[in-house]
Amino acid sequence: MRFLIVDDSSTMRRIIINTLTKLGYQAFIEAGNGREALEKLGAGPVDLVITDWNMPEMDGLDFVRSLRSTSHGKNVPVLMVTTNAANADVAEAIKAGVNNYVVKPFTADTLKEKILAVSPQQV
Amino acid sequence: MPIATASAVDVLVQATTDVFETMIFRSIAAQAPIWGHDTRPHSQIVGTVGFTGSSSGYVSFHASLEAARDVTAAMLGMGDNPDDVVVDAIGEVANMIAGAFRTRMARPDDVWAITVPTLTVGSDFYIKPITEADRAIVGFTMDAHQLFVELIITPARVAD
Repeated sequence: MRFLIVDDSSTMRRIIINTLTKLGYQAFIEAGNGREALEKLGAGPVDLVITDWNMPEMDGLDFVRSLRSTSHGKNVPVLMVTTNAANADVAEAIKAGVNNYVVKPFTADTLKEKILAVSPQQV
Repeated sequence: MPIATASAVDVLVQATTDVFETMIFRSIAAQAPIWGHDTRPHSQIVGTVGFTGSSSGYVSFHASLEAARDVTAAMLGMGDNPDDVVVDAIGEVANMIAGAFRTRMARPDDVWAITVPTLTVGSDFYIKPITEADRAIVGFTMDAHQLFVELIITPARVAD
């Protein structure tokens, strides 16, 4: 399973990759913002996108809206990992095309549960 | 101190403990809060995140360089040389603490927002709010290290 991790914090990208590695996943692509993520997606498909919300240049919501307008990105599962936890935030993210939501801080079990929820065939 | 501020400090302690147990994989022990503007924690790296809602202010996470290295190494599963990422990592710790604090403080009719983190690196500095606000410092022990979380918070606004 190939993941695209989108976050302007190299620390958070590393935390997510460490957590995914613990869960047994091995293939990752990293991007520092939404624009860079769209460029990297042009090089090949991924199975799941994990993105931050607040990023420079192109934030997570604009990235997901752009992703959903592409042929290769309209069906890829997207998890948003963020500190924005208000109900209105979640509703806005879902409306933009996010499939599920992970609030920081999170455990490996929570991340696994969310991955399986949006991509149940990828056990 | 106002009851609302004391309650906010309790929430901040819970948020900090949760971040350390969940993301840094270390237990920390909180000490009693110290109130007022005179206490200056000894630290060399400070991550600060502002917040606004029915109250506004900021949350800061203070660490010595040595403590910051250990926190970074534990959080990222790194070896002995996390220096190139330690500032970014402490910013993320502050961001997660403030985010968890914001999540616990917000209510459906009281939306809270937080800023991006800012980092201060150095020694012998003091951050003073220019508005009237309550201030509390909470010390935490993590192994041999002393860490501090600071809360500056204005009194809650009352609806007209």
